[in-house]
Amino acid sequence: MSLTVVRALGLVTIQDLGRPGRMHEAVPPGGALVRDRLIAANRGVHNPDDAPAIEVIGRLVVRAGRPLEVATDTTAPRTLAAGDELTVASEPHRVAYLAIRGGIAAPLVLGGRGALLSAGLGGLIRAGQVLASARLAQVAPPRGVPGPPLPATMTTATAAADDAPIRVIAGPDPAAFAPGALDLLRASTYRILPTSDRVGTRLDGPALPRSEAPEVSRPMVLGAIEVPRDGQPIVLGPEHPTTGGYPIIAVVASADLGRLFSIRPGGAVRFGA
Amino acid sequence: MADWIPLGDRAIRFARPDRSARALVHAIRAWPGVVDVVVARHDVAAYFAGAPVAERDAWSARIAALADAPDDPAPVRDVALRAIYDGPDLAHVAAATGLGADAVCALHAAATYRVETLGFAPGFAYLAGLPAALELPRRTTPRPRVPAGSIAIAGGHTAVYPFDSPGGWHLIGRVVGAALFGPEGALLQLGDRVRFERAP
Repeated sequence: MSLTVVRALGLVTIQDLGRPGRMHEAVPPGGALVRDRLIAANRGVHNPDDAPAIEVIGRLVVRAGRPLEVATDTTAPRTLAAGDELTVASEPHRVAYLAIRGGIAAPLVLGGRGALLSAGLGGLIRAGQVLASARLAQVAPPRGVPGPPLPATMTTATAAADDAPIRVIAGPDPAAFAPGALDLLRASTYRILPTSDRVGTRLDGPALPRSEAPEVSRPMVLGAIEVPRDGQPIVLGPEHPTTGGYPIIAVVASADLGRLFSIRPGGAVRFGA
Repeated sequence: MADWIPLGDRAIRFARPDRSARALVHAIRAWPGVVDVVVARHDVAAYFAGAPVAERDAWSARIAALADAPDDPAPVRDVALRAIYDGPDLAHVAAATGLGADAVCALHAAATYRVETLGFAPGFAYLAGLPAALELPRRTTPRPRVPAGSIAIAGGHTAVYPFDSPGGWHLIGRVVGAALFGPEGALLQLGDRVRFERAP
């Protein structure tokens, strides 16, 4: 029950649903960039929703050492024969997930099994690495019987829905912006920059004007749209610093985070109420 | 009634009540649905597993009650860090404060600090209690890379960088023989009393 990594390009890591409960130690929540996609891949092989899987922001090629059941967030489960190669690419989205039956084996550290690069936990997956099954118990009926339904955002993630505005909650720092900045955010189209990572999704578009208010280090949150002095917004991802000095113009609705973080670099994003 | 503002749909933010960070974290983590708390210098945020369930007034009442939050019953920990004062900004700090390098090191090592907040990077503790004679604004230009373990000062705080990271504080030395963050979590916890002992 193992896979050997043939090639790993980009940001390829083991992820689960993160390490909540340690933000007072400045440990960010971590976990999958798009939780619903991780869950969809896990459900494809009847794993628990929070089983560790491989997050691919880029491209991954693996080879099965023995027959092995695998699934991704966008493809049906299949059984790899010994020696079979499988390529998982995040295109046409920003991220893809590869789950294997039983979950990926990884040590439990601080309540999670995923990589948290900013805390030096885990690391990037490299060519030659062997990924073994954790042999977690199945949570759903055996093959041939329908498993639990996919998360709602997965079943509705059509091309049309991808174009719908990403909903935001205004604030909490309106005084830190010039009048009209929030309207500008909602009226404009931004592009996802390729410098985006698990810490922040960097956007390129009309600069959001700041006021003269000084920067104060304040608590941050997943999905916060923070705005440095140059006015180009950054949406905080699962490895965000727990405090930061850039003011927050709005926060992405938690139900829309997965849709936003699924848009590949170069793709367009619009924000709505 | 204390006011608060939404921080998205799964967190709220409010002004920091006049209680220790430890007492605040202890009290807020007992609120229904709360999974995380961040105490910053002037603000506190409470994070929920789902949407905060209570009405606006209920949270306001809970926030108001924090003014009387009991202290965390666990005793305050004393942590000693071994320090070598050989940082690249020591000469600049000595010149800017007019104290001389030896006096800078002696002052920094003689003080007792308190972990006021953690933020910026996992395990990065803002240590309050820097002697006023050592207070300087941050560097004009941040460094792209500060080595892990560097002892730094800026404003009224000192800190130790847990990881290699960018940084704008003045580097006066380094901690030896201790990792600021590891598989057990952060070495320095809210409320800890911290001293720097000069390594021979």
